[in-house]
Amino acid sequence: MKLEIVGENVIRVDGLAKVTGKATYPQDLYVDDMVFGKTLRSKKPHAFVKLDISKAEEISGVIKILTYQDVPNNHHGVLFKDHQVFCSKKVRSIGDSLAFVIATSEKAAEKAVAAIEVTYEEIEGVFDPIEAMKEKAPKVHDDGNILYHYKLRKGDAENAFEKCDVVVEGEYKTSMVDHAFLQPEAGLAYKEGDTIVVCAATQYPHFDQLEIAEALQLPLEKIKVINTAVGGAFGGREDITMQIHLALAVKVTGKPVKTVYSRQESFEAHSKRHPMIMYYKTGADNNGKLMAMEAKIIGDTGAYASWAINVLRKAGVHATGPYEISNVKVDSYAVYTNNPFAGAMRGFGAVQVPIGHEQQMDMLAEKLEIDPITFRLMNCFKVGSRTATGQVLEESIPLQKCIEEVAKAMDFEQKLEGAV
Amino acid sequence: MKRIQLKVNGKVYEVDIEEDMRLLDVLRDKLHLTGTKEGCGEGECGACTIIMDETTVNACMVMAFQGEGKEIITIEGVKGDHDLHPIQRAFLEEGAVQCGFCTPGMVLSAKALLDQNPSPTRKEIREGISGNLCRCTGYNQIVNAIEKASQYLRGEETKE
Repeated sequence: MKLEIVGENVIRVDGLAKVTGKATYPQDLYVDDMVFGKTLRSKKPHAFVKLDISKAEEISGVIKILTYQDVPNNHHGVLFKDHQVFCSKKVRSIGDSLAFVIATSEKAAEKAVAAIEVTYEEIEGVFDPIEAMKEKAPKVHDDGNILYHYKLRKGDAENAFEKCDVVVEGEYKTSMVDHAFLQPEAGLAYKEGDTIVVCAATQYPHFDQLEIAEALQLPLEKIKVINTAVGGAFGGREDITMQIHLALAVKVTGKPVKTVYSRQESFEAHSKRHPMIMYYKTGADNNGKLMAMEAKIIGDTGAYASWAINVLRKAGVHATGPYEISNVKVDSYAVYTNNPFAGAMRGFGAVQVPIGHEQQMDMLAEKLEIDPITFRLMNCFKVGSRTATGQVLEESIPLQKCIEEVAKAMDFEQKLEGAV
Repeated sequence: MKRIQLKVNGKVYEVDIEEDMRLLDVLRDKLHLTGTKEGCGEGECGACTIIMDETTVNACMVMAFQGEGKEIITIEGVKGDHDLHPIQRAFLEEGAVQCGFCTPGMVLSAKALLDQNPSPTRKEIREGISGNLCRCTGYNQIVNAIEKASQYLRGEETKE
């Protein structure tokens, strides 16, 4: 077989359009007679809410103000339909969508958003996932706050710890992170016959189509999603933001509708990386062989599930790091709070756990008086290794070589001599 | 409403503006030169970088009327002998373009730098693009591209 692309230096297919400024992102779309949409978002993290749109409706240029009453099926969400298109009774986090003003100009829409009277009746919120797991904690949704528990058991960790010569324990925390892709969310929607066309920058056009169709109660084939140029995403464009608002606005007004988020609104509208709290206990024998590991990982998914299940499962699956351990016990949890919702972000839960398992490795190496490189080489995955989930790694596992190359590049041997 | 004259990419435009319009709004909404991007609206990200009288500015931080009487260059005005400017060619060859939203601003910052300093060091290149954020590349490919473009512009062959 002749390879034409692999191993060759290929210029990306959309490179020319991007380097000349001709690539079209949704904010670059302009059509005749288009009108503008602007979202009203919650300023409170947990409250019962009532809207009075009567004054806003009187503002010159306002065509229609959409609220929960206008949505045929007021739910969406990638795994659970726990997101409302517009909150009906209760807001669960700052930034929740309350209304969408459609007006002849962006300025009129902004003015009307400011003129909507919002009455908040605040409820006690919960912002710490540990607190949220307690039975008496305020409930973010109707059921309990723990929405997912992943259990991994291999061997008998409890027994194995008793046989370990050294055991280390630690608690680790990672913070919330925003993708901060450079192109803030924007979209344009219009009618093409009796089909509603939504142009947006998305990671998931086919799923957006499904979510729009379900919310609007329209047949799937009456919704068309066009993916424009996407100005970065990193997981942050896997959930719906303005797509349903725009489609509904077109359905109700019949006009082409455009919306462009500011940077601030972008931060309020899309997911974050799950902050995690990780308790780790790891043990080895005097020869430096890892014997047992126990981890409890709690992920704060904020007010909505988004991809929390996949993220916390992945965190649990990868909790050992790339090391072979015979006895493993992992419990990972996804927990609702009133924080901004967390979802997909590069690595999907696999990037938080190394903060824990690698620090554990360093602490064990120190106790065992083995240098940290050698200790890792003794325990790392090789061809034939069995992971904590029982997978036998049969193909290329070049980790050993990778660690050796890193050690060489950092002059590890020399530094070690100096240190001892 | 006010009528102003703007000279953009060598062409003179008569445009009606509202007094509170930014230069960025006029370029995008009035002239439909949408290669100039808005990433933050507060002069932090550099996606709206344009060249005004040989100096880079963030078009979101300049009022439209301030552009009167100035020579304005946007990405649409960056061209070379064979259509592509050597900077654009180098960006493509070095993989300096990913999502592309920072690219027009980066190219203009690179152009302003190389117009004034044809042989910048890598440190000077990094300083030259220090007002432009990129979330995809990690910047190394962009620095490589600008270095390569400086060689193209000096007429040197680059080692491939």
